[in-house]
Amino acid sequence: MAYDDFRGFLDALRKEGQLLHIDDEVMPEPDIAAAANAAPRLGGHAPALYFDNVKGFTDARIALNVHGSWANHALALGLPKETGTKEQVEEFIRRWDTFPVAPEWRDDPVWAENTLEGEDADIFRVLPLIRLNDGDGGFYIDKAAVISKDPADPEHSGKQNVGIYRIEVKGRRTLAIQPVPMHDIAQHLHTAEERGEDLPVAITLGNEPVISIVASTPMEYEQNEYELAGALRGAPAPLSRAPLTGLPVPWGSEVVIEGVIEGRKREIEGPFGEFTGHYSGGRNMPVIRIDRISYRTNPVFEHLYLGMPWTEVDYLIAANTCVPLYKQLRRDFPEVQAVNAMYTHGLVVIVSTKKRYGGFAKAVGMRVLTTPHGLGYAATVIVVDEDVDPFDLPQVMWALSTKMNPAGDLVQIPNLSVLELAPQAITPGITDKLIIDATTPVAPDNRGNYGTQVRDLPETAEWLARLQKLATAR
Amino acid sequence: MSDTTPPRAASPRPVSPCPRCAHETIEHITGSPVPGVWEVLQCARCLYMWRTSEPARRTRRDAYPEEFMLTPEDIGAAPEVPAVPPLRGPGAGPATR
Ligand SMILES: [Zn+2]
Repeated sequence: MAYDDFRGFLDALRKEGQLLHIDDEVMPEPDIAAAANAAPRLGGHAPALYFDNVKGFTDARIALNVHGSWANHALALGLPKETGTKEQVEEFIRRWDTFPVAPEWRDDPVWAENTLEGEDADIFRVLPLIRLNDGDGGFYIDKAAVISKDPADPEHSGKQNVGIYRIEVKGRRTLAIQPVPMHDIAQHLHTAEERGEDLPVAITLGNEPVISIVASTPMEYEQNEYELAGALRGAPAPLSRAPLTGLPVPWGSEVVIEGVIEGRKREIEGPFGEFTGHYSGGRNMPVIRIDRISYRTNPVFEHLYLGMPWTEVDYLIAANTCVPLYKQLRRDFPEVQAVNAMYTHGLVVIVSTKKRYGGFAKAVGMRVLTTPHGLGYAATVIVVDEDVDPFDLPQVMWALSTKMNPAGDLVQIPNLSVLELAPQAITPGITDKLIIDATTPVAPDNRGNYGTQVRDLPETAEWLARLQKLATAR
Repeated sequence: MSDTTPPRAASPRPVSPCPRCAHETIEHITGSPVPGVWEVLQCARCLYMWRTSEPARRTRRDAYPEEFMLTPEDIGAAPEVPAVPPLRGPGAGPATR
């Protein structure tokens, strides 16, 4: 069940009772952001929000919290909305096994209906922009896919990049962008700036939901996000060429903005309430000049609120952070059973693993730190036994309660790299990292007084199914 | 320019100073599609952008939270992210990462 455009997914959410249409008149600020801040507090089945009666606007349509619950995340992947978190991650892993699935080129993209060019390419004419948090420096776009190519190797489709970056609106035709050094677009910009060139970009908004998931997945540099979208959708991702830059963009986007990151230019940006739950800003960052805007008639502006976790962003970067880490660890260590990297994009990572021999769990923990994503995240790694479910935090706490002795189970490594936004860093970008070995020691590591562990009775699984059935039939 | 002699040319009429940095040159960016409901304004110095219909804590200097205020010194000391790399001539070989 793949959606080819954003509206197809909104229709599916509506049919499943997962889209709340608010037709009362609301203020653009603070109402819309406050509602999106509140929505995930409704729990695992929180709905997406849709506003179309916004004070001062004549035809605003704003959708938020589209990925903001496990139910909506499941529907984005075409799964039943009741699918559990761990089951969604497991299905994500199975589908990734079919990667890469080549995209499909389609004519007549839905966003080709309307065009603004040159001086007319005024973003305020197309998007009903709204501000999010009190300390934000302006209007932000934080759920758009930004597409760029490696200027040194523009024909290599693996080196093209589709990513979600924080974008501040700096003027009618001016944006700012934050390319984190660990991210692919920063490498593209670096190459362009060394050559004294601008970097062409396409920015697409209102994408079908799997595009948002792959655009925020920490993939390896030469992996193509659209080919992952095909694997996750179970069908090729429909693409078209953006008219000005020729960049490959989703066929079904609501809005496609084209322009360039102006080479060797920086300007004051921020602050912005970030996914870390803290503001960051007051830095000079790259500037985008908008040259062309293409948009579907009556565009829907998809926006994302982020703040004190959990908010929509935490759902968007939960499963898709776990899966690449799991795959990279399994290459070297098939003993790894599951990876939970759902907390703040994997600043904390919990891994369950079998032990090859004493000391093995610590080696797995260190491997986490040297994965591509681990270089910028994984400030704390917790390693648990293979029978502990890393998605079941009470079980993880039990492992910490009984399997961990600070005398031999804490490995602190000084001065490692971390993303610049990590608030706990000593100096931005540098932090100590911690591996907590909460596994049962195995020989020749003979520490502790572990008798035999109590395990689930062999009949328990059967009884669980029976009780669930009885409970639902009540 | 001096804060005591604010140029008003960029603004169609006198407006309050920037809530964030108190600068007095404020640019008009856009207005509401329904005429007269709100305007979007931007400070020419710190580039703060806001809508006039937002709560006072986001639009008025005297109600703006201290933790979000910005001074010209803050702007001057802002680091470059990412740093602009040195120029390399074309044909200088593969770029290093
Ligand atoms: Zn200002």
